[in-house]
Amino acid sequence: MAPPDAVASRANWADDEEFDDPSALPPQQVINNADGTKTVITYRLSENGKKIQTTRRIRTTVHKEHVNPRVAERKEWTKFGAEKGHPPGPDLSTTSVGENIVFRPSVNWKANAKEEDSPESKLKDQLKDKKVACRICKGDHFTARCPFKDTLPPLDDVAAATAAADVEKDLGADLGGKPGGSYVPPHLRNKGARGETMGGSGGGSRDFGGRDRDRDDATLRVTNVSEFANEEDLRDMFERFGRVTRVFLAKDRDTGRAKGFAFVSYADRSDAERACAKMDGHGYDHLVLRVEFAKKG
Amino acid sequence: MRPILLQGHERSLTQIKYGDLLFSTAKDHVVCAWYSANGERLGTYNGHQGALWTVDVDPTTTLLATGAADNTIKLWEVRTGRCLKTWDFPTAVKRVEFSEDATLLLGVTEMRMGHLGTVVVFPINVDVDAEQADEPLFTITFRESKATVAAWSYLNKFIITGHEDGTVSQYDGKTGELIQDIQAHEPDMQITDIQMAPDRTYFITASKDKTAKLIETNTLRILKTYQTDTPLNSAAITAKKDFIILGGGQEARDVTTTIARQGKFEARFFHKIFEDEIGRVRGHFGPLNTVACHPQGTGYASGGEDGYVRVHHFDKPYFDFKYEVEKMAKA
Repeated sequence: MAPPDAVASRANWADDEEFDDPSALPPQQVINNADGTKTVITYRLSENGKKIQTTRRIRTTVHKEHVNPRVAERKEWTKFGAEKGHPPGPDLSTTSVGENIVFRPSVNWKANAKEEDSPESKLKDQLKDKKVACRICKGDHFTARCPFKDTLPPLDDVAAATAAADVEKDLGADLGGKPGGSYVPPHLRNKGARGETMGGSGGGSRDFGGRDRDRDDATLRVTNVSEFANEEDLRDMFERFGRVTRVFLAKDRDTGRAKGFAFVSYADRSDAERACAKMDGHGYDHLVLRVEFAKKG
Repeated sequence: MRPILLQGHERSLTQIKYGDLLFSTAKDHVVCAWYSANGERLGTYNGHQGALWTVDVDPTTTLLATGAADNTIKLWEVRTGRCLKTWDFPTAVKRVEFSEDATLLLGVTEMRMGHLGTVVVFPINVDVDAEQADEPLFTITFRESKATVAAWSYLNKFIITGHEDGTVSQYDGKTGELIQDIQAHEPDMQITDIQMAPDRTYFITASKDKTAKLIETNTLRILKTYQTDTPLNSAAITAKKDFIILGGGQEARDVTTTIARQGKFEARFFHKIFEDEIGRVRGHFGPLNTVACHPQGTGYASGGEDGYVRVHHFDKPYFDFKYEVEKMAKA
């Protein structure tokens, strides 16, 4: 019969989970290697209940340092003042370890330091090769900063505008400027000419009259466009049939993805007709494009 | 290198002394003693009633002297924190220093309230149980510009003083007579620190005129000049390597109006001989009020207006750094 204290120290059988609990961890193993290092294998449970084995190889080296005996003696001093009675070792309330500082003395440290820090300069370097071209005068500034932005229309509209100049004259005579004619409010002028142009080239409503109307003659409405489409691809596709003056791809303002339709304007209406015939039913991404002439409003 | 941050003070640091023990004083009323190896605080010396300006320890680490704005110099037993002696003055004490053999102690008193600035020299008995003299051996009184800092030369031969008007003077260490003085720094630019080289044959001065100068003790000849872009509060000469560490930064009162980067709150390392800046160590949030080097050249510590002491133990790149000519000379 077992002595009574042995019985008491043995755990209740219900608590003993060793054989039915798969999450029980094996004990730590320490192996002394031949080359003087130690291998320590420990096990622990990760947050999601997985068993993780950690193997560490440890080499113990002994650093011998000769310390001045008086310095060594001072290390044994008892604490006093505000530290009186405190246990040996650094106190976290007064002592902490700072961030690691890389300190490499060098003759031309100033040049090195400049390269290292300042994220602004890094950004500048990245943008150094990017060229900014104004859409109005093709200068190397942003369109919004263009000195001619109030006086000149965007450059790619100018070609169309000059072609339409005489048409516009007629229109002006017809509608707003007709002597003796009744007043036509601005939003009704050119009403027939505006068509289904979305957005234009941004703020193009300044003289929407002739140019947009002219463009509408050669504008295709492309629908069933993949939402991953981009304007460059569309331009490449449609440029095969002639000079494309404008590609507008409707995009969702929040996600930046295409909404599924686009407008492509040609300089020449005959090109547009050919494109319409060829591209209708053309496969793009995973969808079949539907191309038709943009309807006039 | 990973600095150790010591946060024993609630206000800006005024002076630190660095060895295997580190002593720090700040504008709060306590002196702290630390083990520099691990940053453990050994204790505090309590008793001053005003902001502390200065601290010094004797070469055997038996006695500690402190000077404070409560117009006293106190002498402490380093080991226990017991106050051994208090000397009273009419004005605040801005600097104390033991001589090389710890038999003399000098104290620089402020010019204020109708009193002229002085340097007082007391005889010291390096024994914690001995009675210390009440009266100074002699007093140097400054008629023109007050002294802000002072130091002992080798063999107690001279007392070197740095003044508010940028001059450096040499006084006889036995009698207190003026021997010579030079306009070392820009006129009306205060000298903020003097630290002696290990053998005390030359010393470095730091000044508000943004320069530090290496000056020979015997002749007061200016050997080297270290030019920076910020007012300096402290300068130290490193042992083992021929470097100079300068601490400074924007005036404390202007700190709130500048960002940390512009404040230039960095320790600057210069080569002692070539006078080139070779690196900076940042970390403080305010100007550096005091820097000190380990006598064995293993590290340096800096105390800032931000109330922190940062203890740095140098690592390999620091010791490996050499100029090309130095490498060639060795080869």
